[in-house]
Amino acid sequence: MSDRLVKMQIPMILTAVIGLLMIIEFFFPMPASVTSLNVTLRSFVTIISATALILGTIVLTIFHTKKVGTRGSEWYYSIVYVVAFVVTAGLGVLNVRDTTFLWIYNNMTSPIGAALYSLTAFYITSAAYRVLRARNWNAAVLLVCALVVLLMLIPIGAILFPPVVPLGEWIRSFPSGAGFRGMIIGTSLGIMGLGVRVFMGRQKEHLGIREERRDSE
Amino acid sequence: MALIVEGRVIGLLSLLIIAGSIIYYMQRAYSGKLPKLRRLAAVNQIDEILGRCVEMGRPAYYLMDTVTMDNPSVLAPTVAAFQILAYTARSAARLGARFFVPVTQGLAYTIASEIVDEAYKAENKQDELKLDEAVMYLPDGADRMYIINHMWSDGMAGAFFLGSWYHKAVIFTENAARVGAMMLGGTDTTHNIPFLVAICDYSIIGEELYALGAYVSEDPTVSSSLAGQDVGKFIAVILIVLGSVLITLGMSIKGLLSM
Repeated sequence: MSDRLVKMQIPMILTAVIGLLMIIEFFFPMPASVTSLNVTLRSFVTIISATALILGTIVLTIFHTKKVGTRGSEWYYSIVYVVAFVVTAGLGVLNVRDTTFLWIYNNMTSPIGAALYSLTAFYITSAAYRVLRARNWNAAVLLVCALVVLLMLIPIGAILFPPVVPLGEWIRSFPSGAGFRGMIIGTSLGIMGLGVRVFMGRQKEHLGIREERRDSE
Repeated sequence: MALIVEGRVIGLLSLLIIAGSIIYYMQRAYSGKLPKLRRLAAVNQIDEILGRCVEMGRPAYYLMDTVTMDNPSVLAPTVAAFQILAYTARSAARLGARFFVPVTQGLAYTIASEIVDEAYKAENKQDELKLDEAVMYLPDGADRMYIINHMWSDGMAGAFFLGSWYHKAVIFTENAARVGAMMLGGTDTTHNIPFLVAICDYSIIGEELYALGAYVSEDPTVSSSLAGQDVGKFIAVILIVLGSVLITLGMSIKGLLSM
């Protein structure tokens, strides 16, 4: 099979056929055989995702092993990865319910993830300072609205200044809500446009074949 | 048995009209009738950011945040981000900018590698590309510290934040701003748009992410589809006004919407 057929035509045909099947099933009552086929196709997503995870792990392990071998920049961090991977994967493969394996997950992976996630709070504060500076009248409106909503949300705000509650609710429900809805309508139309272009095979950069198309035309 | 699933008639009609309009404008483009399209400022900004990176001798980062392609709400912005990546990587290769694309999912990593590789090949610059360093797989969680650390050590001069962005929007953009990078941000996740708009030098919001993907494809039939999407906007405006009037007059439209 030619490279063009494998990389371009087959994925495009599969995308269009499976996509249309899903759309038809959503809008029209279908026989059980079609519904069952679609359920099977959707389960492929889980299988492909799992394969992608394995692929990613292999790529990462090869990269770090090479780095240790060639003593690339910051190669000592790669040793940490290789050792952590071998120990955790080894314990998991031997017995996924092993207490040491679970200990590693519960006491190392999970808290590190939570700690990293909590960084967001500090950066939000710093970002809020950057945003909430009244440099022009647009920023001033943003600052006033943000202060009203913040006051509304903190318990003491309503005690200090009761009108912030209805005012804050109004800002959230009307100007903010209307803006977001407009954005959601626009985004939905954008997704439909993208879908039509992909289904028609006109947009295929995501297949990594942008240049092949141009050369071929 | 009903011909159409109950409650989905209006949805089907909308889909047919909007998809039909998009196909109509694409067909018109084939026959040489191109609609007038406003040039998106972001197209120039991509080259401006990369040019700055070349002048300063520092890298540009292309970050996409969540790329779990098995999630439908993430898939569409990720595909749009890949389309812009194809253009950006090719511009980076042409201008000679150092380019770094960290990806947090195996499937997306493979696609991003392929896109960057082909972009450099198209510019005959494959000798300048070290693919395993330019496109890197970083498992979700480990990516934050790695990227922040390298933002500072590389002193990156430009960054693109495009795709489906969640809480990392604040973490990465704030660090990039402190490093002094010029930034272009764009997402369709409504709750993170404000952060990208506020912190990035340039931003594209919501639908513009998809429009930019079509615009940079440099294929007039693809960019013409944007005119078809505008038909959808006109319909939405008419329906909003009509619905507001009917509700103000005390007429219920619930029955119509649940058809």
